[in-house]
Amino acid sequence: MVSPVLLIAVPLGLAFAMPLIALISRRLPRFVPLVACAFNLIVAIRLIPTVLSAPVIQRIGGFSPPFCINLFAGPVGVMFAGLIALAGLVIAIYALSYIRTGPTVRYHMLYMLLLVGATGVVLTGDVFNLFVFFEVLCISSYALVAYFGDRNGLEAAAKYLIQGAVGSALLLMGIGLLYGLFGTLNMADIASRIGSVSDISVFVPLALIVSGLGVEAAIFPLNAWLPDAHSSAPSSISAILSGIAIEVGLYAVVRMIFTVFGATSIFMFLLFLGVLTVLMGELCAFAQTNIKRMLAYSSIGQIGLIVFAFAMASTISLAGGLFQLLTHTLSKALLFLAAGYMIHRSGSMEISSLNGMGRRMPLTSLAFSFGAFSIVGLPPFIGFPSKFLIVRSALEKQQTLFTLLLGFVLLGTLVEGAYFFRVVQAIYFKKSGDEPASRSLAPALPLISMLILAVLIIFVGIYPQPVADALSTAASDLLDRAAYIGSVLR
Amino acid sequence: MSFLEDYAYYFGAFGLIFIGLLIMLVKHNLIKVIIGLSILDTGVNLFLISVGYISNGTAPIFCRDDMDPSRMVDPVPQALVLTAIVIGVAVLAMALAIAVRLYQRYGTLDLRKIKELRW
Amino acid sequence: MMVELLLIVAFGGSLLTYVLGKLSSRLRNGFALLNALALVIMIGMLYGQEFERSLPFGFLGIQFSIRMNMLSWFFAATILGIGLLAVLYSFRYMKGKERLDYYYFTLLFINASMLGTVVAGDLLSFFIFWEMMSWSTYLLISLRGGGKAIFAGIKYIIMSLVGSLAMLVAIVSLYTAFGTVDIGELAVHMQSASLGLALLVVILFSITFVIINALWPFHTWLPDAHAEAVSPFSAILSAVLVRKGLYGLFLLMYVILGFSFLDRLAVGAISFSNVLAWIGAITIVFAAFRALLQNDSKRILAWSTVGQGGYMVLGVSVATSMGMAGGTFHILNHCIYIALLFFVAGAIEHRTGGIRDLDSLGGLIKKMPVAFVGGLVGIFGLIGLPLTNGFVSKWLIYKSLILEGRPFLAFAAFLGTWGTILYGYKFIHNIFLGQLPDELRDVKRVPFTMAVPIMVLVVLVFLFGVLPGIPLSVVNQVGTYMGFEPLDLNVWGIPSESGTLNVVNLLAAIAVAGFLVWLLFKTLGRSTRVDQSDNYAAGAAIPRGRYGFTREFYAPLYRIVSPYVKDFPDALFLWIADRTKALGGMTRKIYSGYVGSYVMYIVLFLAALVFVQLTWSPW
Repeated sequence: MVSPVLLIAVPLGLAFAMPLIALISRRLPRFVPLVACAFNLIVAIRLIPTVLSAPVIQRIGGFSPPFCINLFAGPVGVMFAGLIALAGLVIAIYALSYIRTGPTVRYHMLYMLLLVGATGVVLTGDVFNLFVFFEVLCISSYALVAYFGDRNGLEAAAKYLIQGAVGSALLLMGIGLLYGLFGTLNMADIASRIGSVSDISVFVPLALIVSGLGVEAAIFPLNAWLPDAHSSAPSSISAILSGIAIEVGLYAVVRMIFTVFGATSIFMFLLFLGVLTVLMGELCAFAQTNIKRMLAYSSIGQIGLIVFAFAMASTISLAGGLFQLLTHTLSKALLFLAAGYMIHRSGSMEISSLNGMGRRMPLTSLAFSFGAFSIVGLPPFIGFPSKFLIVRSALEKQQTLFTLLLGFVLLGTLVEGAYFFRVVQAIYFKKSGDEPASRSLAPALPLISMLILAVLIIFVGIYPQPVADALSTAASDLLDRAAYIGSVLR
Repeated sequence: MSFLEDYAYYFGAFGLIFIGLLIMLVKHNLIKVIIGLSILDTGVNLFLISVGYISNGTAPIFCRDDMDPSRMVDPVPQALVLTAIVIGVAVLAMALAIAVRLYQRYGTLDLRKIKELRW
Repeated sequence: MMVELLLIVAFGGSLLTYVLGKLSSRLRNGFALLNALALVIMIGMLYGQEFERSLPFGFLGIQFSIRMNMLSWFFAATILGIGLLAVLYSFRYMKGKERLDYYYFTLLFINASMLGTVVAGDLLSFFIFWEMMSWSTYLLISLRGGGKAIFAGIKYIIMSLVGSLAMLVAIVSLYTAFGTVDIGELAVHMQSASLGLALLVVILFSITFVIINALWPFHTWLPDAHAEAVSPFSAILSAVLVRKGLYGLFLLMYVILGFSFLDRLAVGAISFSNVLAWIGAITIVFAAFRALLQNDSKRILAWSTVGQGGYMVLGVSVATSMGMAGGTFHILNHCIYIALLFFVAGAIEHRTGGIRDLDSLGGLIKKMPVAFVGGLVGIFGLIGLPLTNGFVSKWLIYKSLILEGRPFLAFAAFLGTWGTILYGYKFIHNIFLGQLPDELRDVKRVPFTMAVPIMVLVVLVFLFGVLPGIPLSVVNQVGTYMGFEPLDLNVWGIPSESGTLNVVNLLAAIAVAGFLVWLLFKTLGRSTRVDQSDNYAAGAAIPRGRYGFTREFYAPLYRIVSPYVKDFPDALFLWIADRTKALGGMTRKIYSGYVGSYVMYIVLFLAALVFVQLTWSPW
């Protein structure tokens, strides 16, 4: 059996070996992320059948939990790791030709570290380890946002860094309080003892941790960094930030609330927060004229939708939330990648500069439309099954409140539809300005990565059953605290 | 006096945290905000250390047979703080590097003037 | 296997058309026509079959199924018939335009998804096909490009998205309540459903179907979309796509819920069918007046589509055999003559270089005789003159309204017809009569492939008008499927004591009256032909050249009517859209760009969490 440690160790090793590899040949480092992601993808896929039956607990240092740092490779973790590797692979293919200028070796190194951080967060079973991987993820993304070193990139990176640092300080404080209360950092151990102390003393670390992780998870109102960072970063980085980084933040929030704290009563608060995030994100996106900012605000809306689904805390809603997460990763990555080359071509991020793109870059435009339709949730794209599951879980609550909130969420979807359809129309039906409508394709490699994503979007959209089955196992893994505690502290 | 003895570190830690946050909230200069960030980090680290601190305790090393484990300070927070300090340094270095580049581009460090990205 | 094959041919054909278009345009055109023809033949072979079958695959644990019965067959036949004619018509109309591969692909794809909605045996696959229909339609409406077409497209897709979200919620609540979305099973389960659930489902579904059927107050997308789309596609939109809303209503009201259940939903005088009937009546009157104010050939037709939808809903909501037959038959008739009229308007547009403005057309009767005949017959059908198909269905609707004792509704229907006469005359006069403008001196005739669909439809208008028994027997079967008593029929009409309709008598009456009028004019008429300028003009100089008969047609009427028939719903929706955008502009101001305030948000969030805890201690 393959060990889940490899998922973290191999890319980490390769990341730090990158400068050495660069000594051999300057051309070599850009292929390293490909190798690492492909490796991770294979390992994750091979692990999935195993972890669907029972989670793999990897002990590090020879002690048994709770005295060691352990990795918890449950269904959710391994699926996340697989998703990270998949998105990482696709975006790495894209970056082969997209990232040509600047310190490319460092780009690829930081990119790998970002993926390592993300993978670590989803696999770890230790609260402090979570913090460390989180910081790895954050620091590399600060640096990557500023990669081009232009005015906007630097400004966004500075703001992102300040907010992220405050967030991680709060997180660390929460972790410290948890340690002070329980004298342990193992998630399962904390979870098993959480009932032994008064509610109010658990609440303070909970509040600190939720606000700390919430900054990276882009929950309203902690998400002010997101539109800046996502719109100023290179498009490949926007794709990975939007598709992976915030989802991982959200995973951490959910893991903390569901498994560690078992705080069922905070769900109502999260529910409203989710709806508010949807509405804020979609409304702000509606008023945008900058394509990348629009996509970034739409990510906020999607995060709200996922939070809404998670906060309903039933198996179906969690499966729906995870499905929506998958949808968002694939579709938003596709949208950013497609937008990246369109911006490259037109030289401007204004939506009006995309006019007539459908004739100039037919395949890229097609990819963009697939992504847009999928995000809005139209069949037969992947967004539809996830939206269906979320709607179903909200209606299965059979309470007026949930139905009402669902109405607001769908209102957000409507607004989202409005601005995405506007862009698709601009791409296909508006006449471009002065430039003659010469046809040119994006280079082959980015097209391959967009093609992979588009095929996945349609394939899973038409045949969602296996994914939905796997995700409902994952959902019960998230919901079942006792099993989590039991399997770690066995 | 035992109250102060037990909790003095916590007061100090939270004092630092609040000072740091306050600086970040009210100061407009990026360098000062970074200093605030650093103070905030220090406060959090101090807080972590105080969690495991025992008054008049000893180092958690069994160098003699007659060591009393209950007199030893908790080693885990110290390990955590070591890691946290390293991370803090990395963030600080990153922040200062960005600040230098930002100054080259904008010619100012006043955050009220660095507002090209908004809405 | 026939129905599965039908869907495969429909969807596969659309994709293959696109691929073939990359090879050769002739091949593509030929294949598209062949594909449409094959579908028509296949649906012909399915006539009278009734079955329901589950498919070997599903979606998230829901089994897909397909069904074929007279209701589905009726709608499928209209879709495919109009689809075939539209494809044929497109050859010349679209010739030389850009993106033809895309055009034919989308056109066939829309037809295929519409076909899917009517043969779907469960609500989920119905929804999936419905959504595919929505977005593919959106992709075709704006094909022409330009600001108006783009506006029309976005308006359509947003309204349709509202509808489909409502429908999604309705379908999922049915699914959570009964654990199935199969139409046949739901029909059984619904009889025991709670009233609250039924009311929710009915309201949500109605929103969807009212939007797509373009009934007041949700009609606002239609005039824009139909006027701005390319003409063959306008014909499809008007003739069949909007009637998917009626298919949905049939499905909801009579297949899933059934009469007895609908009656239980009534509170005093407010019942579902009453509300629907009044919506229909308002739609008829409102649309008739709005159509009068239009000055664009296709926009007039678009508004008439809105109004005629009202007639159908009136007939359907009366829920007697006769009203039902009238409503259903009107769907078929409307689909024939509105397609005809859009083809005519398209032919004019094609030959005059894109002129749709009624002020600048005129006198084309001699230049384009086929178009004139088509337009005249289409307008006759639209008005409902005897011997055309529109007469029969409208007669059935009026009759059933009167029999049921609904004088106000009947009056609304008559009022709508008078309005129809006025704008129908305007359409004919301003395009074909009057004086030919100099710019249009060398307009050519309608090309052959465009004339064929027009003539086919002309023949159908008369055929169904003179021999209404033939289509009515199909309509009767549709009614029987939904649980209505069949009407008594013979080939000439309806020989029953409650309301006799005999076209033979009508024919005789019309022949006699026509002879009398001819005789009168022949014997008593003392007309002499004079020169155009040889006129009494009260001493004023008579302008040589063109008389602007076609300008400001009905000007006095406009002045009276126009202040009262503002399109309030449209203004309201646009206002909402505008406000939403302003709201978005306002909310995004919180992302002020100053990082200190962002840190403040984080601290405030933490404070709010603590505050909520301390105040209400919810956890």
